[in-house]
Amino acid sequence: MNSDGRMQQRLRHEAGALLEQDKVDRIIGFEPGSLKFTTTPLITKIKDDLDRLVINPFIVNNLAVFLPGLKGRIAIVSKGCDSRSIVSLIQDNKVSRDDLVIIGIPCPGMIDLRKVEKLTGKDRDEMDDIIREGDKVVIREGIRDEGYGITPDPYPLTLEVSDVLFDNCLACEFPTPQDYDILLGEPVASRQSAAGESVESQESRVESRGEGDSRAKRLQSEASSERSVSGLQTINYRLLTRQQRWGFWRKEFRRCIRCYACRNICPSCFCKRCFVEESEPQWLMPVPRWQENLMFQVIRNIHLAGRCTDCGECERSCPMNIPLRSLTMEMYNLVGELFNFKAGMDKDAPPLMTHYEQEEAEDLIR
Amino acid sequence: MGIKKIAKKDIGNLLHQWGKDYTILVPSTEGDTALTVHGSRFTVHGLWDGSDVNLDWHRNTVKPPKSNFLPPMEEMFRFQKGKEGHSIELPQEERRQLIFGIRPCDARSLRLLDMIFTDVYQDPYYLPKRNSAVLVGLVCLRPYDSCFCTSLGISPGGSDDVDLLLTDIGDEFLIEEISDKGKRLMELTAGLEDATEDDITKASEAKEKAYGKVTRKIDTQHLKDKLLSSFEDETYWEKVAAKCIGCGICTFLCPTCYCFDITDEKVKKQGARFRCWDSCAFSLYTKMPMENPREEKWQRVRQKVCHKFEFYPMSFDVIACTGCGRCIRLCPVNWDICQTLEGIRDRGGDHQ
Amino acid sequence: MTASDISDKHRFLAQGNVYLPHIMIIEKIIEETPGVKTFHFNFKDEQIRDEFTFESGQFGEYSVFGVGEAPFCISSSPTRGDHLEFTLQRVGKVTNALHRLGVGAEIGFRGPYGNSFPIDLLQGKNLIFVGGGIGLAPLRSLIWNVLDNRDKYGDVQIIYGARSPADLCFRYDLDAWGDDKTVDVITTVDRQESRVQSPVSRVEAGNSRLQSQESRVGAGDSRLQTADSRLLREGFVPQVLEQVAPSAENAMAIVCGPPIMIRFTFPVLGKLGFTPEQMITTLEKRMKCGIGKCGRCNIGDIYVCRDGPVFTYAQIKRFISSEH
Repeated sequence: MNSDGRMQQRLRHEAGALLEQDKVDRIIGFEPGSLKFTTTPLITKIKDDLDRLVINPFIVNNLAVFLPGLKGRIAIVSKGCDSRSIVSLIQDNKVSRDDLVIIGIPCPGMIDLRKVEKLTGKDRDEMDDIIREGDKVVIREGIRDEGYGITPDPYPLTLEVSDVLFDNCLACEFPTPQDYDILLGEPVASRQSAAGESVESQESRVESRGEGDSRAKRLQSEASSERSVSGLQTINYRLLTRQQRWGFWRKEFRRCIRCYACRNICPSCFCKRCFVEESEPQWLMPVPRWQENLMFQVIRNIHLAGRCTDCGECERSCPMNIPLRSLTMEMYNLVGELFNFKAGMDKDAPPLMTHYEQEEAEDLIR
Repeated sequence: MGIKKIAKKDIGNLLHQWGKDYTILVPSTEGDTALTVHGSRFTVHGLWDGSDVNLDWHRNTVKPPKSNFLPPMEEMFRFQKGKEGHSIELPQEERRQLIFGIRPCDARSLRLLDMIFTDVYQDPYYLPKRNSAVLVGLVCLRPYDSCFCTSLGISPGGSDDVDLLLTDIGDEFLIEEISDKGKRLMELTAGLEDATEDDITKASEAKEKAYGKVTRKIDTQHLKDKLLSSFEDETYWEKVAAKCIGCGICTFLCPTCYCFDITDEKVKKQGARFRCWDSCAFSLYTKMPMENPREEKWQRVRQKVCHKFEFYPMSFDVIACTGCGRCIRLCPVNWDICQTLEGIRDRGGDHQ
Repeated sequence: MTASDISDKHRFLAQGNVYLPHIMIIEKIIEETPGVKTFHFNFKDEQIRDEFTFESGQFGEYSVFGVGEAPFCISSSPTRGDHLEFTLQRVGKVTNALHRLGVGAEIGFRGPYGNSFPIDLLQGKNLIFVGGGIGLAPLRSLIWNVLDNRDKYGDVQIIYGARSPADLCFRYDLDAWGDDKTVDVITTVDRQESRVQSPVSRVEAGNSRLQSQESRVGAGDSRLQTADSRLLREGFVPQVLEQVAPSAENAMAIVCGPPIMIRFTFPVLGKLGFTPEQMITTLEKRMKCGIGKCGRCNIGDIYVCRDGPVFTYAQIKRFISSEH
């Protein structure tokens, strides 16, 4: 049994005990999704449901998003980033620590299916299995489609885990929950220290058991020609001119349909009524014009200053693949630089934007 | 009915010919995020830029073709205030559209939308676009695991709702004339070859095989009545709605959802009235100043499901779902309509 | 419903672009209560003015250009006047903008939309009108319609209530109906004493009478007098209805008011022997398009704007318990 399996077993046991001993009213965790390699939130009061709880490399959602809407005592499954969101919600008085049992998962990072799709040339539903084995990810036999110009690939295919994790997982500073009542495994170290390796490993990125496979080579060269293998580009602002940035975001936000998934999936967007829905005054038109779409995102980001934990859910949920994390990261880094502050690290600290300290650089209100 | 074929490499020529009379819309990446978007390389049917259209690996678009008839935002009219008071100006009529490579399920969705947009009042924005458009269908050889069109009387090779139907038969597309409109278009099209018996056999085999690839099923029998009796089952709907985050993905990207908002914009003395997509999933959607009839999330989830599977059938005798699976595969929390419907069936008689 | 079902009242707007508003001119403004105004308005285009017809219960989409559209019923009666009226409470963006307008201002109007009160069904019956607050607006259109064809109807009883004396709308109508010996008007308020800020003159306690109120009429209007012959009761509309206890025999009850009032009124009517088919109401939803397309006013298989806003309780019973 791998580490996920062991944690999963313990999780079911602990969650069952919590319900049985009436320590909590509800469990929030993950259960298998209805599509391959997906999971879905499980919010339940029923003990029998707990046999469906899973831990695997696809438990991507930040479950903290459900907390403000639920009453009673709750046990919540929490990865490193999720726990910081929970702490942040406690700081904002959206939930009480006393009502929570945090079941922590030391998180080795989540697998980005878009990266896997990109590297294998197969879609998610056409792969049989994606198995994580230590630092490798093994993709099992996909469906071989007959006769439409695509040469079947040799499988299984072994990939480096660092090539298929979400960008925010690769950049994660605190993979082990910051606050927990139960920790399901041994704490894991931040991946950041090993960041250098992933760059040089591009040559060996795609291993294949097939010999002389041209497709694998092609994939290899494609992958190395880009900064990131994910479907999204992470924009390094400091390398772009103002005009380039403007052009980039115009293009990206033209696709935005204003479905507000980025906002609704975000634990830090807890406002009952979002500024974008106000009609008097109407800050923004409800029409999905790129300028408005961009402004919505910019203002949302400002509201997230000191709250965003870089969980990556906004970008992940976007149906139009807009690289939202490029914006949130900018704010995340800015908050770190200006205030030496990281969100969700100390439940007793006041929220960043609600207090002022003498030594702050801004002297406007001193 | 003539059956022709065209080499894939000549598709560009074909579109050039058609482009003289139509705005050509092809599966497009909408900008250059040329990477997969939730399994699809294509976000929408967008303006053809004249380059090669490679549909070899084409899976359905993220945005449904309703975007081409009921756009996410649309100017209804402009207004201006002058000395004589307000004057109103209508937008110019757009060029007719040719949607190339539309899936049978999506073509059906337009037929479903026609019902609401012709009901009692003729919608003056949707209908002219719709009536003048040509739909060139493409047999769906690679349905997703989230697809369940066959449960709704749609086949991945279905030709009921398109004007022409293409089938990928290797290096060529088979082209079938389906409607009179399609026939007229074909008459004006040069450079097509007659299909051979062999081609036709290949295409029908491909269609049959595609049908078998749709493995996800829902049971629609008595569904309307089951939903009717579930209407007040708050416990069930609360359970179903618990993990929904209330975003607009499933409704905005549903090919048959049509809700819209009407909104004004004015700068100084002139402005415009717009309509843009809206969603029953949003908590403020039904909000009136003094009350909100759908205050709770479970009521909104119920509305979404019942509208498609109960209310639409009551009004138009047809389910407003094509089984395209977008709402399932694009949902950030994997909320699955099929599971909800299954749950309705299993809810049992004790509630009724 | 199909296109062939378009009745004459729809046909007026079924031609051309149904979303295009007519330009209307505000001719007069009456301040009913501190937050409620009635606007008299008319088509700018005189030809349309002559062609336009509507029926009691129908509504329109009113717009302030650049601000937006909102639905309100036409509160005047088709049997009277050379102008149209609508009445609205200042509650949101569009209503605020409308309230800021003065006489002579231009607004947009689309309509008439929706069905209307079933005149055929009402004729020959005793009618009990039950209204609350601004809910008197649609009833008022029908009441005048009925009174202008008085011989076609049986007894007419009007039970109208508001939160406080200051919140009573259409005092001039209440007066006129009170003067009409063929009509029984019962006015009630939730509480007698007016709100602190209210400029309304004090109503005598106990067996008080609705006294002459100071004028809140727009420019040039005659002063309103509330005749002192009618009792102003205290109590919620459903309670008063129960006390008054109209007979259900050969009667129809037409109920319009805030959702909470409607919710408590139907059971009382039921107790009095009214069947769901004998109870009529108008539903208020956030009707954006007005023509059954935008989806907002959908409850059950009903589009309030297309199939309503007038319904019998029998038609909507199943849905309003959970969504109204």
